Amino acid sequence: MHSQHEGKMPTRNIPIRDFVSDTVCIPMSMHLGAPSKPCVQKGDLVKLGQMIGEPVGGLGLPVHASVSGEVIAVEERQHIGAAPVMCVVIRNDFADEWVEGIHGYGNVESVDPAVIIPAIKAAGICGMGGASFPTHVKLSIPEGKSCDTIILNGAECETFLTADFRLMLEHSGKIVDGLRAVMRALNVKRGVIAIEDNKPEAVEAMRKAASGREGVEIAVMRTKYPQGGEKQLIKAVTGREVPSGKLPIEVHTIVMNVGTAAAVADAVTDGRPLIDRITTVTGCVLHPANLRLRIGTIIADVIGECGGFSEEPGKIVFGGGMTGLCVPNTDVPMTKANNGIVVYNEKDARSVEESPCIRCARCVEACPIGLDPYRIKHYCDKGDLASAKEHHVMDCILCGCCSYNCPARRWLTASFKNTKDAIALEARRKK
Amino acid sequence: MPKKEKSLSSVFMNGIIAENPTLRLVLGTCPTLATTTSAINAVGMGAAATFVLVGSNVVISLLRNIIPDKVRIPAFIAVICTFVTMVQMFMQAFVPSLYESLGMFIPLIVVNCIILARAEAFASKNGVAASAADGLGMGCGFTLAITVIAIIREILGNGTVFGLNVFGAGYEPMLLMILAPGGFLVFGGVLAVTNLITARAEAKKKDEKGVIHA
Amino acid sequence: MKLYLSTAPHIRSGANTQVLMRDVLIALLPTTVAGIYYFGLSAAMVIAISIFSCVLFEYLWQRITKQPVRISDLSAAVTGLILGLNLPSTAPWWMPVIGALFAIVITKQLFGGIGDNFLNPALLARAVLLASWPARMTGATAYAVPTCWSGADAVTSATPLAGYEASTMDLFLGNIPGSIGEVCKVAILIGLVYLLVRKVISWRIPVTFLAVFALLSALVGQNALNELLMGGVLFGAVFMATDYTTSPMNPRGQFIYAALCGVLVCVIRNFGAYPEGVTYAILIGNIVTPLIDKYDKPRLYGRLKKEKKEVTANA
Repeated sequence: MHSQHEGKMPTRNIPIRDFVSDTVCIPMSMHLGAPSKPCVQKGDLVKLGQMIGEPVGGLGLPVHASVSGEVIAVEERQHIGAAPVMCVVIRNDFADEWVEGIHGYGNVESVDPAVIIPAIKAAGICGMGGASFPTHVKLSIPEGKSCDTIILNGAECETFLTADFRLMLEHSGKIVDGLRAVMRALNVKRGVIAIEDNKPEAVEAMRKAASGREGVEIAVMRTKYPQGGEKQLIKAVTGREVPSGKLPIEVHTIVMNVGTAAAVADAVTDGRPLIDRITTVTGCVLHPANLRLRIGTIIADVIGECGGFSEEPGKIVFGGGMTGLCVPNTDVPMTKANNGIVVYNEKDARSVEESPCIRCARCVEACPIGLDPYRIKHYCDKGDLASAKEHHVMDCILCGCCSYNCPARRWLTASFKNTKDAIALEARRKK
Repeated sequence: MPKKEKSLSSVFMNGIIAENPTLRLVLGTCPTLATTTSAINAVGMGAAATFVLVGSNVVISLLRNIIPDKVRIPAFIAVICTFVTMVQMFMQAFVPSLYESLGMFIPLIVVNCIILARAEAFASKNGVAASAADGLGMGCGFTLAITVIAIIREILGNGTVFGLNVFGAGYEPMLLMILAPGGFLVFGGVLAVTNLITARAEAKKKDEKGVIHA
Repeated sequence: MKLYLSTAPHIRSGANTQVLMRDVLIALLPTTVAGIYYFGLSAAMVIAISIFSCVLFEYLWQRITKQPVRISDLSAAVTGLILGLNLPSTAPWWMPVIGALFAIVITKQLFGGIGDNFLNPALLARAVLLASWPARMTGATAYAVPTCWSGADAVTSATPLAGYEASTMDLFLGNIPGSIGEVCKVAILIGLVYLLVRKVISWRIPVTFLAVFALLSALVGQNALNELLMGGVLFGAVFMATDYTTSPMNPRGQFIYAALCGVLVCVIRNFGAYPEGVTYAILIGNIVTPLIDKYDKPRLYGRLKKEKKEVTANA
């Protein structure tokens, strides 16, 4: 399955560089949870880091201006989901003037642990590896549970992506700071930074940065997709298995992306809200790159920065080849969780036709959870939700391994996603 | 359940086509598989079963108001046994070669579910004439079906029909067809073709009625 | 600019059904060549007719039943080649044709086509032919003594299993009477290595099958090596028991299935009425496969044994 690690070479050795565009379009819904409420109007002048969206509800997060300038629109725009999303569009004046009142709390080792989680919430940080779960919620340990290990996910097992790899090389200190901040906030003694063994440079850099830091260790894991999946990572690092349908806290573990940790470090030491992130831009673009992009940068501008398309594009995907989400057009903006933009050419984008299952058992062998994908797919195709559930479709992590390996080109993962959504919907209706 | 206004001929035809015991109701599969190794065996089996069917249907129909409900099955069996014994003796006396080749399957007519099924489902609820027609229809339907199966098996498995050579001396018979698997295969094939024909006929009927089917 | 929208994953591995089937054909090539070398042109004819009729029946059936024609996935060709290799070189032309009819139409297509047949098509065809024309399929009247192109008229003989004298080396190289594809063990092993290297099959089924068979043969007092080299056990274990569709999906199930096949071959050979039992052993294994798949599940992540016990205790 090593071929699943293909696609990293074009950007692997390209250092991170900044890119700031003329306008940004900042969606109010970039995290899991209710969309934020816009608190600026058309014509307002905003400064860098100014709150433009107020958090709503328990899983709410604030949204901050990622450039300074004039708000030219507050309107609904199409994003990757089916429903349009409220967005604040800002024309950049390139002054990059920070809003007043931003102040840091100082060194992560000396700061009062009590201020750390509020600082994370105020900075609007959500999981930056793709799931976009609000970080301060993840760090609030429920009553009766405990945490003894924080794992930073630096596996980056997804295809094409090198953003986390570059971050670990170039900002290793920040990542360790972020980890320490979280460990201190939760009074956890053990912090593990897990990296796949195909990134020796990153292992080296992180080792250097972590030396002498209390409780921080580096774990080198076998390169095997989906090693960076939360459940696989926990198993690889601690040997524990998260019970079916439960969260990692059940086995006393919290998993965070390395990017999130870096953002946490910024939020604690400088009080800096989350306004930019590192994203890999690759595939059919002339100059693939790892860019530090302001949140809300529109894809068309990003592609332009990378020299434009190298071939007629057929598909543009947010994220890697195994789990990424398709975008409908190039006017869609970047979000906090978006770690990659991959452009596929027409030929690779064309969807393949399903042929009959030949029972080769490759899906069974590939499934990291131990499901019978071929059988579940049979029930999904029949619309038999009860049987699919009985065969544990809800345990599927949608890693895509079965579809990737299927010689009959069956759309297994897509079926499972639809079925999981349908079962979840049914459960909500019953409530 | 056929009503009184149904004519005897429609009761008779019912057994041959609409409710053919072998191909539509799939009853009596044991003799169907066992005695269809040659056409002559099948015809002999069919004739014997038809005789028992008509006889038992008539007698049970006559006695239908006398037999107490609780002991009706043993009573039916006793009647059926009588006719089976008669058939067995007739065959032994007049067609000993057929009697030899059918062997065990003659006494086994007693437990042929077609006969008990018709006694239970038809003769015990209908008049004598209708029951006789039903028995004759069912018997002929059974005979027809197993003869068709037997002809196919005999042609392929022995190269003959009713003992007459069809393919000439060069033909190497396909032994499998007169073995048990061949019985299942041909039975399944004939069933499939019957289903195909009935499905087509029903679709056509619907078309004529102007029903649009997807 | 038109962008496609689809769910993940957006990339696929290179393997597809056609590539896998092509690999099986390539793996069968050595034993095919060896068979033709030993038995001459008549073997080539049997194989050619068999492949041609299998592909033709598949094409015709799919056209008649208005399904998409899938002969390009090469599965019919694989069935045809395996069927041909399962026949003696003296088989008349109509035997592979009837075999193909049973393999493709009755065993495969009537049960739903590729992936849905519950028996190995080539094996069932062999069993049908064996039951129908036993004298032409097996035994002293059917199996030609290898001529290596030397003589025009083939002499037939019993197989080593039924008394033909042959050295272990002859058994290994294939210089013995038998079905076209089963004689040359060297060529079969080359095919096995190719299948394993290309990851078309896993080692589990062939190795377990042969190991259990050899062990049991030794236990009943036979020469295990010669038993392995006689008859079709090697060909069956490598090319027929490993058929995807008719073998279990999970590793543990594959072990059970392969062990069952090994036991059955040994039992039929030593205690049955037939000198050779590979065909029936694997067919019985095929029939048991759905049952094995029903009860043999892979271990689920996050469902520990302890938890299971708790669940049953609560229930």
